[in-house]
Amino acid sequence: MKSPIAASLRLLVRDWRGGELGVLLSALLLAVSLVVAISGFVNRLQFNLERESASFLAADLVVSSSRAMPPEWQEEALNTVGVTGETVTFSSMVISESDDMFLASVKAVGGGYPLRGSLRVDLGGGRYGADTPEPGYVYLAPRLVQQLDTAVGDEVYVGDATLRVAGTLLDEPDSTTGFFGYGPRLVMHVDDLDATGVIQPGSRVTYRLLLAGSTGALEQYKNWVEPQLVQGQRLLSVDESQPGIGATLERARGFLLLAGSLGVMLAAAAILVAARRFGERHTDQVAVMKSLGATKKTIRTLYALSLTWLGILAISVGSGIGWLAQDAMFTALADQLPGEVTRTGVTPYVTGAVTALVCIAFFAWPPLARLGAVSPLRVIRRETTIADSTRATDLLLGTFSLGGLMLWYSSDIKLTAALLGSIGITVGLGFFVARGLLSGTRQIGSSAGSVWRLALAGMQRRGTASAFQVVIFGIAIMLLLVLTAVRTSLLDQWRLQIPEGTPNHFILNVAPIDEAPLLQFFAERDIEVGDLYPAARGRVMEVNGDTLPEWGPDATGPRQREANFTSTDAKPDGNEILSGEWWAVGSDESLISLEDGFADDIGAKVGDQLTLRIAADEFVVTVASIRSVNWESMQPNFFVIFPEKLLDRFPTTLFTSFYLEPDEKYRVSELLEFMPTITLIEVDVAIQEIKTIIDQVSQAIELVLLIILVAGALVLIAGVSSSVDERLHESAILRALGAGRATLLGAVAIEFAAMGALAGVLAIMGSEAAGWVLQTQMLELDYQVQWLLWPLGVILGSLIIGSLGTFACRRVVSAPPLQVLREL
Amino acid sequence: MIKTSQLNKSVKTAEAELEILRGIDLEIKRGETAAIVGTSGSGKSTLLGLLAGLDSPSAGAIYLDNTNIVQLDEDERAVLRSQKVGFVFQSFQLLPALTALENVMLPLELAGRDDARIMAEDYLSRVGLGERLHHYPRTLSGGEQQRVAIARAFAAKPLILFADEPTGNLDTATGAKIIELLFGLNEEEGTTLVLVTHDNTLADRCQRKLIMTAGQLSEAA
Repeated sequence: MKSPIAASLRLLVRDWRGGELGVLLSALLLAVSLVVAISGFVNRLQFNLERESASFLAADLVVSSSRAMPPEWQEEALNTVGVTGETVTFSSMVISESDDMFLASVKAVGGGYPLRGSLRVDLGGGRYGADTPEPGYVYLAPRLVQQLDTAVGDEVYVGDATLRVAGTLLDEPDSTTGFFGYGPRLVMHVDDLDATGVIQPGSRVTYRLLLAGSTGALEQYKNWVEPQLVQGQRLLSVDESQPGIGATLERARGFLLLAGSLGVMLAAAAILVAARRFGERHTDQVAVMKSLGATKKTIRTLYALSLTWLGILAISVGSGIGWLAQDAMFTALADQLPGEVTRTGVTPYVTGAVTALVCIAFFAWPPLARLGAVSPLRVIRRETTIADSTRATDLLLGTFSLGGLMLWYSSDIKLTAALLGSIGITVGLGFFVARGLLSGTRQIGSSAGSVWRLALAGMQRRGTASAFQVVIFGIAIMLLLVLTAVRTSLLDQWRLQIPEGTPNHFILNVAPIDEAPLLQFFAERDIEVGDLYPAARGRVMEVNGDTLPEWGPDATGPRQREANFTSTDAKPDGNEILSGEWWAVGSDESLISLEDGFADDIGAKVGDQLTLRIAADEFVVTVASIRSVNWESMQPNFFVIFPEKLLDRFPTTLFTSFYLEPDEKYRVSELLEFMPTITLIEVDVAIQEIKTIIDQVSQAIELVLLIILVAGALVLIAGVSSSVDERLHESAILRALGAGRATLLGAVAIEFAAMGALAGVLAIMGSEAAGWVLQTQMLELDYQVQWLLWPLGVILGSLIIGSLGTFACRRVVSAPPLQVLREL
Repeated sequence: MIKTSQLNKSVKTAEAELEILRGIDLEIKRGETAAIVGTSGSGKSTLLGLLAGLDSPSAGAIYLDNTNIVQLDEDERAVLRSQKVGFVFQSFQLLPALTALENVMLPLELAGRDDARIMAEDYLSRVGLGERLHHYPRTLSGGEQQRVAIARAFAAKPLILFADEPTGNLDTATGAKIIELLFGLNEEEGTTLVLVTHDNTLADRCQRKLIMTAGQLSEAA
């Protein structure tokens, strides 16, 4: 052969014309486009969702401090990250022109605030704006406008400064972070801060430095500033500031990666089937070529080059299809997605190309490489077949390569192990069970009618090939079941995370004497209010007599911590005891229950003696239990809990929560007028935003599931097509012998339905195993055996595979037998 | 041109070792035509496969143009076939994805010849298919397919042509035409022809008639 490249191109063109390449190229295209589409979609979705979550902070990273930060922190931020902003938040009385007064939560903003998300301001006269206020101007929350009886254009007084109302604040991105945003908001410019003269030594003020930029730069800044943080200073990132959002995003990412990995596996299965078929169909061609003088090396070079061209074609066209698909998905969701539309980056295309290469090398190449070993004797003796000896190695290599690919793709060893393990179960059990059952069915078949006898004999005679098909069907159905089950659990869990009626307002600082009037206020308005918890601010000073160091630049390890202490004899819902025991109702022992992270911070375990301080009192308690707390629940949660009797002797205030429908929001003003001394925290906006994100991610997940279902269907079709030639040939002979249409179609339908039922059983076994690992170990969801799936899997398996098989083999009865026999 | 000495071929079955060929000694000179005849299962096709280097014997030697092909590996035999051997098969063995012209070009391309297309067109014209160059095998009759196969066999200008039941799949009239074509071209090209057949008309056209009986070969008088 003079020019292998030219020859391989000719071979490819001829194969293409002969329709031999269709299935293999489709499978490769499926692999590349699926990976590019899902990976691109996930990238864009994740980027947008992260942006959306970042808008909760108005930044990607925030340094929060109870005192003014050193100027070099901002300089370093500007140098490292580039974009910064600042906010200074404090409570202050605001007075209107008509001398109405109200305690507002003032936020002075400057720099590029907000770095993420945007303000929405009603500027009056039907105009709306998103810019921060100019120096000398303020925005007021609607409730503040109402309380102060003021309007846009009027003046208000904050401390010594006179500022003009420029608009009504409808929305601000970081309204929900920090629990000290008491009272309705007033937004002013940071340059006016000095003029107010409000901030004095000892004032309770929160300073925030806002940063936005690349992950690397943020990480660099974080590492620079972290060692310099002292007490009252901390870093806030999206996950830490909104654990609910962080966990939701993490699970969504996990699911989408799982979906992507399953996509790759399905595509690999399709390629395996297609390449096997391609190899089988080329056996005769290679035998002829070898009889005409082609060497093993020539054959291998020709097919290796052909595959290379196919790979290049699949990567380029598949990337295009993938791009179109992810763009279509993204556009479909664009209305619901937050922020501007983002680009996919190159990662999805690299992932697609690597996937194609791995699939070609480990799934498509082995059956074609074996073509080199085809005996030329086949031209005179058709029964001379290809040596099968290397197939076990193929599968092993394929599995390892797939494992490597998935690990690279998901960076998650548990996920990879779970999926490979379940595939192992399906393949391992599949071959043995399928072969065993198939031989059993032959015995049944021999005593059955002719249709059944034909069907079962066919299945049994194709033994290994039938078992292979059952395994492929099983894997495809299994992956689809796993994904559907995980998706259902995930969506259910999300729906449960913030059920309807979750408290969206918190009340702090209720004096014990006000408890009865407060409850009456709610009862009269038919508003359900939660339990009232006593709360006292306290500090952990010593553990087992050792004084804990205060927070400081050089302090490492356990340190003093301050927290809101509460007391109850009933373990709060959603709390789980990790060690120790909850105390008996009415206990008067000096016990304490700690949240696990808090216990780590102070270095305490069950049985330790803690010295606490509340106001001027110091006392010693024993750690009775350590709890995990569900921070995603949006319920009142506590780091430190005492038995009820223990806190009785300290002055406490009460703390509770309640739920308001959006159209009842005016009740907040009523409540504050009724009881002006309380502190009200409104989290309704935060809860609504979390719900919005959950809804968006849920829709994305449904869409990805749909794509994977389509991929699964393609694998099933490829699997069914793989045996069509042989069946056509057999049926043509049977028709020539006088077999009727009903007999032939019936036999085909029974054969595929029986394989589908077997595949259904395998799929359920594999999916239960994979589902258990994925849900309990990776997504941290509860696992339940899906009993309903068992009969459903068998019935659906036989129905789907039966129909697909019969449809694919419809030519069995439609094509004239002579034509079939001549073509094959 | 072809010489064998003490050629044996046996295969292992579940029950015992089955001897297909036993001590075959054969010599066919350059340009000779020889027919191997015999009953089904007598070992004719096995012998043909061995002579063409498509299979390896259990014992003995096979000389093809003075090369003992038993000592060659599979790939070396393939190279030898590409240079010296042509085939015509009972089931034609045309590649269904290739046109008549491409089927004939295939061995020429494998041998790295630049004039593959010209040669292929020439030979297809010589077998009377000059008008059907771009037809696929499925659109050709059995006789036409065998003519393409004959063109493919001669186009590479082999020294030896092996034919396995070349008329086996054809009716008598078509078979007769194929025989004429095969021998006509053989004479023009001066090729050594070895064929396996049940067809006495075909066997009678050969200079020598070798009879295979239960794995042993004898020459007809």
